[in-house]
Amino acid sequence: MGPPKRFKKDTDRGKWKKRKEDHDPDYVNDEDYNENDAEGIPDAAKNDVEKQDEGALEDEFGAKDYRSQMILKTDNISRPLWVAPNGHIFLESFSPVYKHAHDFLIAISEPVCRPEHLHEYKLTAYSLYAAVSVGLQTHDIIEYLKRLSKTSIPDGIIEFIKLCTLSYGKVKLVLKHNKYFIESPFPEVLQKLLKDPVIQNCRLRKNIEDETKDKDGLITSVLNKNKAPQFGAKSLPIVNQPASGGAPTVSNDSATPNQTNIEEIAIPEDITTFYDKIDKEDEDEEEQQLKTVSFEVNQEKIEVIQKRCIELEHPLLAEYDFRNDSVNPDINIDLKPSTVLRPYQEKSLRKMFGNGRARSGVIVLPCGAGKSLVGVTACCTVRKRALVLCNSGVSVEQWKQQFKMWSTADDSMICRFTSEAKDKPMGCGILVTTYSMITHTQKRSWEAEQTMRWLQDQEWGIMVLDEVHTIPAKMFRRVLTLVQSHCKLGLTATLLREDDKIADLNFLIGPKLYEANWLELQKRGFIARVQCAEVWCPMTPEFYREYLGCKMTRKLLLYVMNPNKFRACQYLIRYHERRGDKTIVFSDNVFALKHYAIKMNKPYIYGPTSQSERIQILQNFKYNMKVNTIFVSKVADTSFDLPEANVLIQISSHGGSRRQEAQRLGRILRAKKGAIAEEYNAFFYTLVSQDTMEMNYSRRRQRFLVNQGYAYKVITKLAGMSDEPDMMYKTRDEQGQLLQQVLSANDTDADEEKIPGEGPRPMIRKAGNMASLSGADDAVYYEYKKSAASSTANKHPLFKKFRT
Amino acid sequence: MSTTISGKNLLQPMGLQCKDLYEYLKMRSPEMLNKLYNNPPICLAVYRELPEIARHYVMRLLFVEQPVPQAVIASWCSKLHVDVHLKVVQVMNELNIWKEASIPGGLPGWILNATFRKNLKIVLLGGGTSWTMSNQLETDSKPRDVAFLDSYALERWECVLHYMVGSQQQEGISADAVRILLHAGLMKRDEEDGSPVITQAGFQFLLLDTAAQVWYFILQYLDTVEARGLDLVECLTFLFQLNFSTLGKDYSTQGMMSGLLTFLQHLREFGLVYQRKRKAGRFYPTRLALNIATGQNKPLSRDLEKERYIVVETNYRVYAYTNSNLQVALIGLFCELLYRFPNLVVAILTRDSVRQALKSGITASQIVGYLNQHAHNKMIEAGPPTLPPTIVDQIKLWENERNRFIFSEGVLYSQFHSQTDFEVLRDHAVSLGVLIWQSERKRTMVVTKAGHDDVKKFWKRYSKGAN
Repeated sequence: MGPPKRFKKDTDRGKWKKRKEDHDPDYVNDEDYNENDAEGIPDAAKNDVEKQDEGALEDEFGAKDYRSQMILKTDNISRPLWVAPNGHIFLESFSPVYKHAHDFLIAISEPVCRPEHLHEYKLTAYSLYAAVSVGLQTHDIIEYLKRLSKTSIPDGIIEFIKLCTLSYGKVKLVLKHNKYFIESPFPEVLQKLLKDPVIQNCRLRKNIEDETKDKDGLITSVLNKNKAPQFGAKSLPIVNQPASGGAPTVSNDSATPNQTNIEEIAIPEDITTFYDKIDKEDEDEEEQQLKTVSFEVNQEKIEVIQKRCIELEHPLLAEYDFRNDSVNPDINIDLKPSTVLRPYQEKSLRKMFGNGRARSGVIVLPCGAGKSLVGVTACCTVRKRALVLCNSGVSVEQWKQQFKMWSTADDSMICRFTSEAKDKPMGCGILVTTYSMITHTQKRSWEAEQTMRWLQDQEWGIMVLDEVHTIPAKMFRRVLTLVQSHCKLGLTATLLREDDKIADLNFLIGPKLYEANWLELQKRGFIARVQCAEVWCPMTPEFYREYLGCKMTRKLLLYVMNPNKFRACQYLIRYHERRGDKTIVFSDNVFALKHYAIKMNKPYIYGPTSQSERIQILQNFKYNMKVNTIFVSKVADTSFDLPEANVLIQISSHGGSRRQEAQRLGRILRAKKGAIAEEYNAFFYTLVSQDTMEMNYSRRRQRFLVNQGYAYKVITKLAGMSDEPDMMYKTRDEQGQLLQQVLSANDTDADEEKIPGEGPRPMIRKAGNMASLSGADDAVYYEYKKSAASSTANKHPLFKKFRT
Repeated sequence: MSTTISGKNLLQPMGLQCKDLYEYLKMRSPEMLNKLYNNPPICLAVYRELPEIARHYVMRLLFVEQPVPQAVIASWCSKLHVDVHLKVVQVMNELNIWKEASIPGGLPGWILNATFRKNLKIVLLGGGTSWTMSNQLETDSKPRDVAFLDSYALERWECVLHYMVGSQQQEGISADAVRILLHAGLMKRDEEDGSPVITQAGFQFLLLDTAAQVWYFILQYLDTVEARGLDLVECLTFLFQLNFSTLGKDYSTQGMMSGLLTFLQHLREFGLVYQRKRKAGRFYPTRLALNIATGQNKPLSRDLEKERYIVVETNYRVYAYTNSNLQVALIGLFCELLYRFPNLVVAILTRDSVRQALKSGITASQIVGYLNQHAHNKMIEAGPPTLPPTIVDQIKLWENERNRFIFSEGVLYSQFHSQTDFEVLRDHAVSLGVLIWQSERKRTMVVTKAGHDDVKKFWKRYSKGAN
């Protein structure tokens, strides 16, 4: 529903900063984060362009007044965007040059919100870094931005772009013939680097004088890269490319110039000409003869040199020249001829393989838009040993399925490595495992130990990191130290974390290579058209009275167990079952999950459910006509691929987490059959108890999706619910019994489910007297084993040894 | 007058009655009307504002110097449309255009008002005294064109509006204008420092289109005219002469009385006329003054292009393609403004900002109406619905949020001695249908004020019977 609530309590310009702070610190709190993590980030990246407009005047209505800082161009109508001095860019989606501007902005900035008409982007140090790494030049960025803008560009922005791009992307770390080289088209940059003692130390000098070396000992090479085949030029059954123009372009892209010529003559010529130029540079890089200089570095000291280069403000771009890698054997894998890539999938891959080498980076696609196909295609392009990491056993299975579906890989080539399925790794080309398997620190079984050793010995061609946003930086570092790979591809739907630490990924994996526009994909039928709705369930008076006078944890249970919510849920399930829909009900709270599911007699999955039972339930949900509704806890938030589901009901959720909301929506986003026939073909309901904290949470959760252009409909009354026969909790008595059950539930029930992989939750300090701490507030006495176990856990190891 | 209501008028809030000429004149006394009818321009204006059938009747009767039987007149109109006829008769009566006169033989008849007849003839056929502003003038050395006049008019008029929204950027307006605003209830004196602040009606006024605003304002001005020692009839006459003047032509001030000259200066301030200097001896009427009474005032040319300038997004963003402080201020009434670019304002609808607007008396439907009326062409293309339905719903929900309590006055009955006493009385109240609330456990009940007497009587009777 509503937008972020913002209070005008401070009239200073910190408004935007305030908004940032209003995140939810507790969804997957990465408490291991410490100062060390900041090391891997160059200084320029810490620049915040937001601060640049602190001096901006505020007009009489409280808006930041930029009118004095820019001059409106006379032909502003035909130009599509405005650039604010704080890095925010506003783009008209109805402009004739939208397509050009959109591609360009995606490359250089982060999308903030993309609804129907006007999109907002934001320039950040990271986004500019990404721009440089896909081959854009400082000068071109500024020049093109100038041409697209309706007004003159504020000086601060030009400065910022220069600051963030000039030193970036100039130096590459390339692995060729299994030797590491630092390569750059700019000799002066290399010379500067070589003056640094640390780097000198890492350099690998060979005694043999080579005639290609100049007086500094740099290897000069002229690359006629024409011979390097480009991604897409392969015999992939992609959308047909027109042969003209040399490098292949996505079909709709290449069609644009023609269309624009005919339809809109109003476009200022400089925009189109310049766009073509940039476009060519981007795609046709191969055709130029690139003169590069390079020097070889010691393989053992890669870590050191990477770190040092970052300190010197010249972060190394890691590229993998997989075609010239003769040491690692090729694996025999290709896409099946029947596999067809969608234009956006292809585009994202082109960003990755833009110059015939593989860049490391992150690709952001909405859930259900075919992320796995992108991963599979990337592996098939590199054709070296591939390691796929995901975050649950179920998704390991799903990845294997995906490989078998899209590529020529068979069972013998794909090896699963999980606690339950350990295939023989030797001789396989693709290994699929989970993050926790790799980072496991306790003792492993002998078999697992062997596999791990083998895994560490390998030089992996590509590492695909699924749901990359979920892993904490520390865990990720461990993965990187354990496994050697030439390039890394991160896949995610929501590159956002409530704690804003997502930025680290930029330097741990690589820049964001591509981010798709949800609304556009929806319009073109690649993902389902979802009707989002927020159902307001009034609290019953009895529940509300208890709600007002109880502790925080108990409040949660009360608003989740609100009988009106139960009834709304029951009604919605019945309604959609009658329509023949497949419904998933999400509840973060296990007490509620069990209660709802058992009461309605539906299967449910939560943390303790065993792997085999999970798969059985999911199979039934998929194929059994009688199982149309399942209840799941947050274990199903990510990577549960349920293509059949088209209705999602959320009865309890994790506070105000935007990411969870987006991930859950993702469960029903996979394009549905008959997508064109109906206006909406998927439904996303959030049940909210009125007048409780849930209302605020819900508002916050929706921000991300609202910014992607989704609209939440508020339903205050479900039509037809009162006529529905045999609904539960209709009478006061029943409701009273429910209330008794809720009140007698113990505190752990009231809490949300904890998932081991997500790390411990932050400690919460609460005021309270001894009696309430010991649980004497409740009339019921409970004894449960868990607390006994944890009490020994806190004891000194010596005691532990003797007592247990 | 026309009976169709244009879309814009739907916006008219209940608190703000914007009368048209007919409604204004209908409130005047017959003597006053007669005085007005002494002036040919007014007669013409009134004639033009009459419903079509009424105009027809007037034409037929104009040269008939004796009463015409009512039955005859009724026969001019088909029996099928008798209601239209009756409506016309009512209008003619109210405006004192004709009066009843009995025909020899006792039949009731109608005869046109003599003054009206005489002056309408003059205006149609010529003759009479020449209009004050029609004196000959030598050509202006620096003539003003229509575009200039339009921008001048708009600028002046916006000064008034700016003053109302409290924007500081524009020059102030005269004390007279402030007095009119106060008189009209569009602004009121602040209780603390006495400075004028905008009222609920004022906000509603701002959301009207320009023509309606001008007309409303002028009507309020006319109310105060006599207090200033000006002659209402004279002013109205002049106003209607302006009504029929030509845009882009200059007129002489020669022969105007001092009172009229003051009036002219007021009109000049609001942008209805343009004068280079106070004593220039000539003036240009602007578009605001033309057709002022007809309500079919064509919007100013600049108005048209600026009209559709708002984009509302599903994420509560509001983008306004404008640089006009006034429009920004209007959006600022219910949005929180974020950025201003040379031709764009970025704002966001938040719960707080909308509640702020609701608190100052603007209704949700007014906000939605305003957004709808000014929605950008791209929004209209994408529609229907023009506005994202979720936003419309949300604004309404925010309004409903404020109305969750229902107050009903009542009388409390408590401290019953026994449960049966309570139940008897409660059941009685229920049977009367006056019970508002009851609690069996606390033996307390509330009945409506209207039902209090009956319940009390019943209780007295009951308790006596029990004793």
